[in-house]
This record gives sequence, structure tokens and C-alpha cells, in this order.
Amino acid sequence: MKAALIGAGQIARQHLSCLKTLPGVELAAVCDLSPATAEAAAERYGIRTWFTDHRAMLEKVRPDVVHITTPATSHFALAMDSFDAGSNVVVEKPATSTLEELEKLVRRAQECGRHLIEDHNYVFNHAPQEILRRVGTGEFGAVTHVEVLICLDILGPSGFADPNSPHPALTLAGGAIADFLPHLASLAHVFVGPHRSAQTVWTKRKPSPLPFDEFRALVDAERGTATLGFSASSQPDAFWVRVYGEQMQATANLFETRLTLDGPRNVPKPLRPFFSGLEEGKTIRRAALATLLGKFKGPGAYQGLWELLARTYQALANGSPPPVTESHVLEVNRMVEALKPRQQRP
Amino acid sequence: MKALVTGANGFLGRHVVGALLARGVEVRALVRPAARLEGLGWPSSVEVFRADLRTSRELLAAFDGIDLLVHLAAVVSGGEDVQFAGTVAGTERLLEAMAKSSCRRLILCGTFSVYDFSSTRRTLDENAPRHQVPDLYSRDGYTIAKWWQERVSRRFAEQHGWDLTVLRPGFIWGRDHAYLSALGVQFGRHYLVIGPMTRMPLTHVENCADVFALAAVDPRARGQTLNVVDGPGERIWRYLSDYMRGVGESGWRLPVPYWFAISVVRLAYATVFRRATKVPLILIPRAMESRLKPLHFENQKLRTTLDWSPPLDYQQCLARTYGPATAPGATKQ
Repeated sequence: MKAALIGAGQIARQHLSCLKTLPGVELAAVCDLSPATAEAAAERYGIRTWFTDHRAMLEKVRPDVVHITTPATSHFALAMDSFDAGSNVVVEKPATSTLEELEKLVRRAQECGRHLIEDHNYVFNHAPQEILRRVGTGEFGAVTHVEVLICLDILGPSGFADPNSPHPALTLAGGAIADFLPHLASLAHVFVGPHRSAQTVWTKRKPSPLPFDEFRALVDAERGTATLGFSASSQPDAFWVRVYGEQMQATANLFETRLTLDGPRNVPKPLRPFFSGLEEGKTIRRAALATLLGKFKGPGAYQGLWELLARTYQALANGSPPPVTESHVLEVNRMVEALKPRQQRP
Repeated sequence: MKALVTGANGFLGRHVVGALLARGVEVRALVRPAARLEGLGWPSSVEVFRADLRTSRELLAAFDGIDLLVHLAAVVSGGEDVQFAGTVAGTERLLEAMAKSSCRRLILCGTFSVYDFSSTRRTLDENAPRHQVPDLYSRDGYTIAKWWQERVSRRFAEQHGWDLTVLRPGFIWGRDHAYLSALGVQFGRHYLVIGPMTRMPLTHVENCADVFALAAVDPRARGQTLNVVDGPGERIWRYLSDYMRGVGESGWRLPVPYWFAISVVRLAYATVFRRATKVPLILIPRAMESRLKPLHFENQKLRTTLDWSPPLDYQQCLARTYGPATAPGATKQ
């Protein structure tokens, strides 16, 4: 299958590194408005051709899959052009700036008989997949509640809070935090399903160009409830996911490889905390070592993206539904829409 | 003559502004929108143009009435992609604007990092081998971005027939920027000094700024690529002693022969880290060589082309760095 990519900076590196490893995938072209950025990516990843005009690339290369890794505000137009060229689209989150754009995009994908896959990468990290596996076998029991909290310092002088160059994400409702809502919503969605209602709190703790730097939400979903959050002030950086099942509970930090599970234990009840603590300590020590080794090799916290892309290309090759379907994308983004603030200032 | 100076409020830039003024060159300083300019001591004759090379749309106006671009700006922190976007894509945007102006002269601040130290034997001068594609992409983000910045600048200069001078400084040091990555591995107050007798390619910021100003006014600099070092360089051990004394640090220094350190790193890389993709720089043989390989550093071409000798000797540089503060551009000619 021929793959092409539009937007060769930042997260593109993860897409290109992964695509290089996938059997049967040819990295056919890369496109960026900056000629040097496009050419450097082509040289680095051994890609035959590079472009600065995405339409020229689509017309000449006719890729089977187009990866869109540009700022979110450009996704809609680029994805529309890609569908018109007969390509499937893997798009970075957020797939579009608005829900209306996404609905149009999904309609166009269906008209063209192509797929739109939004990057819900953290759903495909090892920890959520392991929890889902145990839910599938019945070992975990039905999921009743999920907590997802991202603690990430986005207030530094570079990146989202750069005073010299406003980050494109600041134009989204919710500002920089909006960039993370698809992560929160996709994890809530995979464990408790589409939302029915959501209550949110958007606040700002520290002075910065960001409209908000703290976010909390309580979501009522079809199969359970979820509390979602983002904190720019709480340190150290972490991506906590806690899943509550009828028979087990799981805690994971998706920025690391840590996953601890607590469930039925064949010991007298007063001794349960003792044995649970021993096992948890052992699991955390092993995860710490795996996290350290992961820093030397491989995708690290982006392991889910690599897994998602591998499954996506396999599904496209087999003609089966991709791991993230259009209905998933729509349901996740309807939840995202419900999470957005009503006004752009606290 | 009027020069547009990018990165004008940076460590080197503020001294280049002073040195250009001292040679009678008018200056328009291009600084980022949120840059704070208090304390730089610029005279009112210095025009300030606020723009961010990554995003500003109005860069063409910066070239109004400009005869010469002195391009110092580069992003030196953040991830590899951040540095590439800021340094390389920013340079593309800047030079695209210049191509629409009447300015035909460019002085680019390059770096020693473009040289392939691993392939260099004995003497590193302007003829030393540079990194080649695709090996370049196994290097650090700064090296990749600066290598590409020079490539982009040369392409623009060739395409538009500009006079290009590339000045490649070694380690630039000076007040508040005296710590250098070549000083070894730091553990708290203590240093593991690798190759203590190795000489470093040093240029004091005021000497370095003087070269940029000289290149601006001296037509012999046109079309030249020149390494900028003050001389053969000080030994790491002595520089570190002066540094620790100057900043009031007390700690142990443990010397390790270079040949021993590079052998250990090569062995570790060939065995443990052979297939690793994200190894700390100090554990990558080529990266270690680019900081610490004992080579002889030449500034003969700079001396003969521009008849330049550093205005400040090492003792004067120490006084400027660790003694009472002086205003940028106060270098005596």
C-alpha cells in the first residue's frame, strides 16, 4: 500500500518511523509547506518524492492512505482533498476544528467508500488494551467507571504558551486543552461507551496566553460514568487512567509502562491489602525498568500510535473495518463537543 | 551601510550589534515580539523590528533600506523538530522575504557542528569533511538544524546571486555563558573531565562579534566560509579551573583519558546500545567525538583572509567574563 504524509514536523516523525517498519507499506511521498522540512523528512526516511503542494502530491502519487499531521485547523480541507483523490485518511487529533466539519468529512468518506481514522493512540497503548482484554474475558467484570487525568506542564515559554508565536491550538474552543480532549474522550468512550451528558469545569490558575489551564468533567455514558481532567499545574507530568470494574480495578500511567491491577485474591480478607501491596510494588518496579529501557529504543509513550497504525494497515489490506471506525470517531467527537467550554474565557 | 541583524538580542547578537555600530554600520535589530530589550544598552540609532521568523507574515518590511543581512537567529533548545522548524523553516521564510528585497548580501552564523569530527584527522579547518546524508540524521537536533540552515542559505544565495559569507564559530563563551558542554560530565559540584589536556575551539563572544562586524565591512569576506576561533584554544583542564574559580564553584575534578572514555563508549554502543534509537549524546561515539575529540583547530584562513587577530587575549576574556560587567560592544580595537 502506498502511504503519503502531509505536515512533516513534530508528530509526523512517529508516523513515518512506524510506517518504515510496517510490512507491505511503501512510504511514497511527503509534503510540507516548508521545502526544507519536506526534503529533510524524505532524506531521513528514504522517501522517493517530496512536495510543498498537497494537491500536486495527491494527483501524482495517488496514495492509498494519507496521513494528515498538520495543525488541526487545516485538517478538514486536506482530508476532503485526500478523499477526492481516492485515499483513506489517518488524521491526527483533533480531526477537525468543529463537529460540523467532522460530520461533513465522515459523509464524504462514506460517499467515496474510504475510511477516516482519527489518531486515538492512547487507547492502543499496552495498558488500556490489557484492561480491555480482561474485560473481554470476563475477568475484570463490567466497567462501571473510568477516571482519566492528564497532568502536563504546558505553561512553559515554548509550545502552547509561546508568547512570540501563538500556537494554532489556541484558536480551538478550550485553547491548548482542546488538543487533549480527544485523548480523554477516546479513553472514556472505549471503556464506558458514548456519552449521554457531561458537566464540566474550566478554570485558569496561572497567568499565560492560554484561555484555560485546568479542566474537569463528569460524564454520564451508556455503560458507566467517567471523570476526565487536565491539569497544567500538577506535577510531575503523568497520564493517569483508572478503570473500575465489578471484579477488578486497574491503574495505569500512559506516559510510562505502569499498569497495576487489583482483583480477587485467594487469601483471608485482612491479609488482602498486604498481598496487594507486595504485588503492586513488584509490578511497579518491573514497569520502572521497562520505562527506562523504553527511553533508549522504540516509540515510548507513542506505542499506541504504532499499534493503531499497524492494525489500520492490516485492516485496510484485508478489507476489514479499521480499529477506529467512523462511528467511533463521531461518538468520541460528540463527547468532545459536550466537553468544550461555552465561552473562551473563564 | 545598514544591516538587519536577526537574533540581535541573543548572547552573540547583542555583541554583534555593538561591534557593527563601532564600525559605523547602522543596525536594524530583528527580535521576537515578546523580547525584552531593557539592559542591552542599545543607542536610539538602533531600529527595532519585532517579528517571529516562524510565523510573522510581514518579514519583507524588515528589509526596507537594508544592504546586508546578518543572520544569527536559531532555536537552540527544545526537541529536534522544534529546532528544525524554528531554525530552518524560519530561515526559509526570512530568505524568501530577502529575495523580494534589494538586499544582496548575507552573513550567516554557522557552526563547527556541521563538521564530521569522526572523519577528521589531526587538524580541523574549513576543508574538514562535513556531515553527509543520511548519517546527518543520526546526529542531535542542533546539528541537523544548523547543517540545514547553511544548506538552505547556500541554495538561496546561489539561486539569487547573493554574496554569502558563512562564519562558523567554535564554542562561543562569555559572561553568563561560560559553561561549555566539553567540560565533561557533571555530578553535582564535581566533574568527570574527559581528555583534560584537549584544546577546545574557543572564541570569546566579543572576539567572535568582532569577526562578524569585520566581515560586514570588508569586501574580502564575500563568498568566504571561515571558521571563527580565537587561536589554538585553551585546554579543558585550565578552562574548567578558570570557570570554577570565576563562578565560585568548588568541587572535585576527576580526569579521564580521552582514549579510555571513547573506548568504553564505543564498546557500550557496539554491545548494549547497538540497536537503541534514543541514547543520551554522551553515550554515542560520534556525538562524543564532536565535543571532545583531540584535534588541532585552525583560524589561519580567517587571519589571512581578513587580517584578523582577536582584539582580546585569553586573560582579557577572563576579565570580561568573570570580572565587573561592561557594556556590549565595548571591545577595544
